[in-house]
Amino acid sequence: MPETTAKPWGETKFVGKPIPRVDGYERVSGTAEYPSDVVLPNMLHAAILRCPHGQAQVKRVDLAKAREMPGVRAVLSDADKEAQIPWYAPPGSPGSTGSPTASRLFDPHCRFEGEEIAAVAAETPQQAWDAVRAIRAEYNVLPSVVDMEEALKPGAPAVQESGNRWGAPRETKRGDVAQGFAEADVVLEETYRTSCEIHTPSEIHGSVVRWDGDHLTVWDTNQGPFGIQAPLAAAMSLPLSKVRVISHYMGGGFGSKLNLGKYTVIAAVLARKTGRPVRLFLTREESFRAVGNRPAHIMKLKAGVKKDGTLTALQLTGLGEVGAYPAGTSVGYQVGDLYRCPNVLISESQAFINAGPNRAFRAPGFPQCSWALEQMMDALAEKIGMDPVEFRIKNYSAVCQMQQNKPYTSAGLRECLTEGARAFNWKDARLRSKGSGPWVRGVGVAAGMWGSQSGPPSTVRVSLYPDGSASLNMGAADLGTGTKTVMALVVAEELGVPLDRIQIENADTGTTEFTRPSGGSKTVFADSPAVRSAALEVKARVLEMAAAQLKLPVTDLAFQEGAIVAQGGTRKLAVRELTQLRAQQVVVGVGVRGPDPVDKVVRPFVAQFAEVEVNIRTGETRVLRLVAAHDSGRVMDLLTYRSQVIGGLTMGIGFALTERRIMDAVTGKMANANCHDYKIPTAKDVPADKTVIPIDLHDTECNTTGTKGIGEPATIPTAAAIANAFYHATGIRITAAPITPANVLTLLEERRKRG
Amino acid sequence: MLSQFSYQRAASIKEAAEAASRPDVRILAGGTDLLGCLRNQVLQANRLVSLNGLSALKGIRQGPGGGLRLGALTTLTEIAEHRQILDSYSVLAQAAASVGSPQLRNQGTLGGNLCQRPRCWYFRGDFKCRRKGGDTCFAEGGDSQLHCIFGGASCYMVHPSDTAPALVALDAKVSITGRRGTRLVPLSSFFVLPADSLVKETVLQPGEIVTEILLDPPQPGARSAYRKVRERGAFDFALAGAAIVVAMAEGKVRTARVVLSGVAPVPWRSTDAEKTIIGKPLDAAVAVAAAAAAVKGASPLADNGYKVPLVRGILEETLTALAA
Ligand SMILES: Cc1cc2nc3c(=O)[nH]c(=O)nc-3n(C[C@H](O)[C@H](O)[C@H](O)COP(=O)(O)OP(=O)(O)OC[C@H]3O[C@@H](n4cnc5c(N)ncnc54)[C@H](O)[C@@H]3O)c2cc1C
Repeated sequence: MPETTAKPWGETKFVGKPIPRVDGYERVSGTAEYPSDVVLPNMLHAAILRCPHGQAQVKRVDLAKAREMPGVRAVLSDADKEAQIPWYAPPGSPGSTGSPTASRLFDPHCRFEGEEIAAVAAETPQQAWDAVRAIRAEYNVLPSVVDMEEALKPGAPAVQESGNRWGAPRETKRGDVAQGFAEADVVLEETYRTSCEIHTPSEIHGSVVRWDGDHLTVWDTNQGPFGIQAPLAAAMSLPLSKVRVISHYMGGGFGSKLNLGKYTVIAAVLARKTGRPVRLFLTREESFRAVGNRPAHIMKLKAGVKKDGTLTALQLTGLGEVGAYPAGTSVGYQVGDLYRCPNVLISESQAFINAGPNRAFRAPGFPQCSWALEQMMDALAEKIGMDPVEFRIKNYSAVCQMQQNKPYTSAGLRECLTEGARAFNWKDARLRSKGSGPWVRGVGVAAGMWGSQSGPPSTVRVSLYPDGSASLNMGAADLGTGTKTVMALVVAEELGVPLDRIQIENADTGTTEFTRPSGGSKTVFADSPAVRSAALEVKARVLEMAAAQLKLPVTDLAFQEGAIVAQGGTRKLAVRELTQLRAQQVVVGVGVRGPDPVDKVVRPFVAQFAEVEVNIRTGETRVLRLVAAHDSGRVMDLLTYRSQVIGGLTMGIGFALTERRIMDAVTGKMANANCHDYKIPTAKDVPADKTVIPIDLHDTECNTTGTKGIGEPATIPTAAAIANAFYHATGIRITAAPITPANVLTLLEERRKRG
Repeated sequence: MLSQFSYQRAASIKEAAEAASRPDVRILAGGTDLLGCLRNQVLQANRLVSLNGLSALKGIRQGPGGGLRLGALTTLTEIAEHRQILDSYSVLAQAAASVGSPQLRNQGTLGGNLCQRPRCWYFRGDFKCRRKGGDTCFAEGGDSQLHCIFGGASCYMVHPSDTAPALVALDAKVSITGRRGTRLVPLSSFFVLPADSLVKETVLQPGEIVTEILLDPPQPGARSAYRKVRERGAFDFALAGAAIVVAMAEGKVRTARVVLSGVAPVPWRSTDAEKTIIGKPLDAAVAVAAAAAAVKGASPLADNGYKVPLVRGILEETLTALAA
């Protein structure tokens, strides 16, 4: 049944309530089997030798000693034909990103510390690592460059032979910025910098693989098995039908697990070589270097405004840090869309450096852009003497300027700002005394939007059994976000089956149907309409059965709370009593995601508020409270929704205050590839005082569940709101993230010296 | 991944001292530092000798004349929660409570805390630095934001311990047992600067084991505090910190010890700051003067100039708070 025929929900019974996870017990008790828990009979353990230099040419790899080590069953390097698999999407290959240089699984030219050189499979992980350490590799160490501005200077070491600038600058243009700046009463210009962040999911990247003849089965921790299956099949030259990827549970990805990993392919080749299953999970240290990051960005932003608060021009010149191989770094979208502005010029460049390539990271590009745009909005508001909330309300755009001014299916930014400000007590908080030191306080706001991707395709099956229980079969992974719970709620809503009577099968290319991997906050709005459509089809079949049994027209029947009701409720038929269902034992509904609206645009919106305190003697910054108001459409489950927002706020605190990759410029190696020097926030860095405010404008046009996605919006403006609060507290604009004591003290000292 | 080693649980201090005198043997207490060093190939060991069967090294006992004797295996949690330490040696309780996280404090011991290896990211990372037998200090040309502003030479690491500065400020003594007997060393002479050794951070000889830390009875009129600044709220080493013990008499400072953490390869005693406050009432002006005196000889590297105002800020704040 096409989902577009479904009517919007009115009052709901399950959907939108605070419902605990359907798999909460399994996750908390440890009975949930994550890919890293999978143990197969006869399984070998693999480990990888990685390049220890910022850039090097591998001259020789001597595996002789490793091969003789106890327990070693196979070694693999570029010398093996079966390992010469193209990588980093060279030109002409499927999924090519226009890589200037072709690379291989174990390419002798290593462009970053951590590139793969050889691998070993042994009886135990310890034996595998002992053997890796026994491999003798000789390198011709090449000069490296790990700073993107340095990389673009003449004479810089070449990361890619075609030059360290990747492609020509991409331009987005609207109106005439020169004219816009001429019309402005105030023009400000500032350069903002953000740091490279590492995803650091709880479960580290890895796979367990097994061959059954020429069938390959992979237990892999990823954000959607169909996103892994196709490139894996291509890499192993197998048809899709012979590659099965399973990821029922997975321990977080934040964008870093959308891609096929080299480790999966290495494990598959080693398993084929040895005829035994192989487990290959990375160490935390490896995961810091080789499986993606949020690229650092330098953003020069120039903005013009009239005294009455009308924006006249926005000009962004951005430079993004690609890493050693092509991976996009765009940040400009919100500059072109969030606020009404007739004249916009966005120009974005990208530079290669000798470091692991970036990957999508929770709202790729958007928190970086917010860091610049939302601090600039604050500075403009101050210059013209307007309240920062008022200024944003005056300028938010009710139409999508990046798509020919199409209207949005719903647009709640104004409500996010006003409701958020009310909950935060914004006006009073702005006026409150900042304190006389050493701790001073301040408050800040930042707004944002997410450019969500489209919904289709998604195919889902719902089955109803004669005892009234049901099963839900869907391709989507549950990244720890609560996907299974949310989708089961849709089945419960439509079929009246309680959650504990719904069996869920998900994220297995061998047993479930295609959906794109979970990225772009798409899972709820892409898959829940398909689930609903499948459940509605089941409902229709059941009503047909009941009509035949009761000898009544279908139009006289209704399906309510798991039973068929007729003639104003005087006759009731339980699912159990359907003779036809008992005869055939199952009714299957197949639902597909219908198309997105064509003449309207679907976008979630957000406004967040922060209060911070700063110690002007020691440079310490603490977040005291946060308010997050979100228009992400319908709330499917209040608990998972709140969890998503709190997780996003936490990540935003890391972006603002503590997280940054540090590359050693001399050696090209990462200095802080460990969990105490790379600092994700702890419970002590996240305030207890957090308020989540869902704004639901009852969007009936975005899709049949009225959802727009919450995972990424939750972290987009957090860091910017904290930076604005920091400015309010100290009078210092901190343009470079993160706001560490070192950065703060350096700025305070500069101010002291200026007098 | 750890390399292979054998494990021996020592039945006596003597046995442990004998076993540990071999260069390929390491002493294991809580293991929170040692296992990380082994995992990251910072050190090699063929055998670990565990002290954990030695009850003589456990717990807190009364010392002569009202002092305390802290067994080397006492956990940081025990120290942070001990009534008498909280009351009479608050600098130590605060320092112990500021270490890492609850898990690390439950597992980590006081002896291990004093003997832990540096946290310099080059030392811990895959860089063959001078302290690991190489010929380079990578902080000299690299990223030195976490490195020292005092006492560096050839190596610019900072001493990672929080309890060490507190114990130096309390003028604690450490009891050391080796194959040839027992010696008592003031903690202020326990740590060695890079100028004296580039391979070890303490005066311990091979096989020597820290058995006890001795605290003198608290001085009359004593007040103390430990203030630590770090980049995140927990699970983090000091960017800089200060352990301060003062004894007041008739409204004036009679004796004072000011010891800094996070700024030097050893707990860094600032006698200049001490001299500035001794004989004076503790007020804001004295705090500012002492803070200025403390940073006089600082020589920052390329990226750690901020530690100068940071130390000043910490001392101004903490001395002012102690006055109240
Ligand atoms: C993530 C993380 C964060 C940390 N944060 C902090 C912090 O904020 N502040 C801080 O001070 N420390 C910190 N630590 C360091 C340290 O691990 C702990 O403080 C702990 O006290 C070490 O004690 P242990 O018993 O675990 O030592 P072990 O790991 O068992 O030993 C450490 C070293 O001392 C030697 N040793 C141990 N006991 C003796 C003895 N009795 N005699 C002679 N040698 C001995 C061992 O051979 C080894 O070389 C942190 C560690 C980690 C992993």
